[in-house]
Amino acid sequence: MGGAYIARKLLAALFTLFFVLAFNFFLFRVMPSDPVSINARSERLTRQDIQEQLENFGLLDPLPTQFVRFVGNTFQGDFGLSFVTGTPVTAEIGARVWPTVLLVGLSTLLATVFGVLIGIKGAWKRGSAFDTTSLFGSLVFYSMPEGWLGMILILIFVGWLGWFPAGGYTSGLESGFGNIVDVAKHLFLPCLTLTLGYIGEYAIVMRSSVLEVKNEEFVATARAKGVRDKDVRRHHAVPNALLPTLTLVFYSFGFVLGGAIIVEYVFSWPGLGALTYNAINDLDYPVLQAIFLLSSALVILFNLFADILYGYLDPRVREG
Amino acid sequence: MKATRRAAVLAAVIWLTGGALMTQPVSAQTSDDEPVIYDLGVDSDLSHSLNPWRLCCGPDYEYGELVYDTGLAYSQEDLTAAPKIITEWTPSDDYMSYTMKVRTDATWSDGEPLTVEDVAWTMNFISKYKMPLYIGYFPFNPTFEVVDDETLIWHSEEPTFAPEVPAYFFVLPEHIWGQFDTAGDPPAEGAPQSEVDAYNEALKEGRSAAREFANEDPVGSGPFILDEYRKGEYLHFVANPNYWGGHPSTEDPRAIDEVYIRFFGNLEAMTQALEAGQIDFADGLTPGLFNSLKSNEDVVTHVADAGCWGDIAFNFGGQPGGKATNHPALQDLAVRQAIAHSIDKQEIVDKVFERTAVVGDSFLTPGKNGSWYLDIPPDLEYGYDPAEANRILDDAGYLDTDGDGVREMPDGTDPLDFEFIAINDVDGSVGTGQLMDGYLRDIGIKMTTTTVDSDKATEIWGSGEFDALIWDWCPDPDPDFILSVFATEECGGWSNGCYSNPEYDALYHAQKQEMDRDEREQIIDEAQELVAQDLPEIVLNYWSELQAYRSDTFEGYHPTPNVENGLLMLGYSTTVNYLELRAVSEQAAPGAGDDSSGGLNWWVPALVGVGGIAVAWVLISRRSRNEDDEE
Repeated sequence: MGGAYIARKLLAALFTLFFVLAFNFFLFRVMPSDPVSINARSERLTRQDIQEQLENFGLLDPLPTQFVRFVGNTFQGDFGLSFVTGTPVTAEIGARVWPTVLLVGLSTLLATVFGVLIGIKGAWKRGSAFDTTSLFGSLVFYSMPEGWLGMILILIFVGWLGWFPAGGYTSGLESGFGNIVDVAKHLFLPCLTLTLGYIGEYAIVMRSSVLEVKNEEFVATARAKGVRDKDVRRHHAVPNALLPTLTLVFYSFGFVLGGAIIVEYVFSWPGLGALTYNAINDLDYPVLQAIFLLSSALVILFNLFADILYGYLDPRVREG
Repeated sequence: MKATRRAAVLAAVIWLTGGALMTQPVSAQTSDDEPVIYDLGVDSDLSHSLNPWRLCCGPDYEYGELVYDTGLAYSQEDLTAAPKIITEWTPSDDYMSYTMKVRTDATWSDGEPLTVEDVAWTMNFISKYKMPLYIGYFPFNPTFEVVDDETLIWHSEEPTFAPEVPAYFFVLPEHIWGQFDTAGDPPAEGAPQSEVDAYNEALKEGRSAAREFANEDPVGSGPFILDEYRKGEYLHFVANPNYWGGHPSTEDPRAIDEVYIRFFGNLEAMTQALEAGQIDFADGLTPGLFNSLKSNEDVVTHVADAGCWGDIAFNFGGQPGGKATNHPALQDLAVRQAIAHSIDKQEIVDKVFERTAVVGDSFLTPGKNGSWYLDIPPDLEYGYDPAEANRILDDAGYLDTDGDGVREMPDGTDPLDFEFIAINDVDGSVGTGQLMDGYLRDIGIKMTTTTVDSDKATEIWGSGEFDALIWDWCPDPDPDFILSVFATEECGGWSNGCYSNPEYDALYHAQKQEMDRDEREQIIDEAQELVAQDLPEIVLNYWSELQAYRSDTFEGYHPTPNVENGLLMLGYSTTVNYLELRAVSEQAAPGAGDDSSGGLNWWVPALVGVGGIAVAWVLISRRSRNEDDEE
């Protein structure tokens, strides 16, 4: 694999990123109305007040002027101030990144590990009770809306059993190690929801991938050589079946910063997903633009990693 | 296989960890060394920031009133003016000025004394910079003069009762907020235009700067001090030990030491948190969730008058900009009367609000507006009577000449096809629109509904490109502002549809200049009757706020106003409850070792732990067996 391959991929990634930057700018401005009028009545804002506020936000300038300013500022790392809170967008996002990384990152990790293990075992013993049960379970959790699953878990674990907090990231009552335990308490239900929501996908993809590889001639050859069953699986089948799952893993980690909007909303988890939800409601353009740019950049970056890694793992990819 | 064994062990660890992490309710603690904590659940975060110039909705005012003091308060009894930082206010005979006494025992949370200069500065700043949200309480360009350490005078350009409304504002420390007061003195009369423009520009800049200040470390004089604000999570307050009123927590171990206002985007989660004893109070419940709480014997449900009304506002056209697209038939009182007769207000209350609202008749509410409210006499009301509606339209010449089921104008031209704007983030608006469609069809009127967000509705409202809005108003306790909504001069301002009636305008101005309360009440009664008859808007219902609280943690809730359905929290001056509530008892408080809600705590983790070990053992032994089989 040569530098030309990597350079080509890098260039494509940069082009995509710029396209995302431009697209997002216009996308949010297509939405009806403006970010000031939303609560105009409750805030007793006269029409003159609204105009004054829009002028302060620079939203009365012609769209091309706004766009040039936006691109210029973005390249300087200046995402502006949130229309809603008046604080820098970088601070808004900075405060929300870790809860999201913790929740979505951990859930993705758990779902990947368990999903892959379940998929491998199910495929290897196709038709067994484990396979039937895990496939059924995977399909159920895969097709189950995460928001709904979260609500059911709240109903059971909060309303009936009273075991876990109903929402939030921390109770604010603890410090030091107690605070870590406190965060873990709050993390448990949303993490369980997301893990269950993701696990089915990994299990199904891994299962079908292993099933495909299982019938390949090199697997039959390995068996014919007298290699033990578990070694055939571990050293011959699984490594060759991992490629599609790897795509999924990279793809999922790319979305980590996008947050899990519904689950964060259901559990009042103060992450980027909840921030996105609120920013859409409030038409907070600077925050929306920054979040979308960040999550797009991450998806592009992880896809780039995957592309480059594929080149190493499978020579057919870089030759194609 | 090691992987499966590892997985089994990991599952057991997760299970066990889950058991260990299981929570205990976080509410009131009343032992000597533990603070008494009050947890309030609300359905949204602060609207903007900690800036008191930008309060709007949700818990904004709760935050404001806990951290800051208002100049004057609303009395808990009937929402009339009550003393706070301003302890006395006496009008001059001509009501052109008010002499006010200011308390001298208050201090800011940063240790500086709160002075009469702070109070005068705050009011001057509002008046001079025309601060949105508050300027309506300061009519006729008032100025404020400090007389001595405890006295100031409110000077008005015209006679006014404004201070007694009461004028609502938070007293702010000049040593923090004075940095935005940079415009200087206004230019002298006859000054060059450039000087006037420069001054106006400076006012604009000061106003914007003050409103955009993040105020991350608010300095106030209120009963609590903001300890922490975690966006999207909670506001945490601790008792202000130097509060001028004397904070009860310094003496009474059952009084509240700390307050958490927790934000729940998900109301179901908030309800479950209340049931589990994780919060003490829940506000903003939906009817379904509210009703689900009624079976819990430790939870008290409370239907409070929200002081808001839902309405249909007709557009009369004439909005500035000339974009109005109002239907000419709506100018005709007969058409508006027929529409009023076609509406089954009770059905809207039953089906759309699930009986949590009550049928409304006037633009003042019986709860919040108290004695200002006029129960509209039945002979002035247009009750539900579709037959009468059809008769009125027939008599007025609106007939269906082409047989398509829709009436036309008397001259046979335009059909009666009205565009209604329903607003999807306003309670009941969309549901009301759906029912309205049927009501109007029954009387030969076609209705086209456009559903939008309130921000888009604000734009449409300003342009006048609509026939009717299905919206709401939440008036102040004093009627002055809501009366202005029907005045001709508010076309392009607060008027919903540019209604114009000289008779009404005269009443509006008369009440504004009438300083005698009883006389003013009579004028306002006339205004309410006039609106009920002339129908610029049809008041449909008065909403309720659905609140619930745990009775086993705190006691002593006081409704405001002091009527059965007064608000308990998140209303005008309801923050007094944070000082008056007391933990029920040491034994009853969740988290203090009682059996009622924390009883599960010892055996459930043990059970889960044992279960986890059992599952892990089964998995591992099965795995071992399978591997033996394979080998």
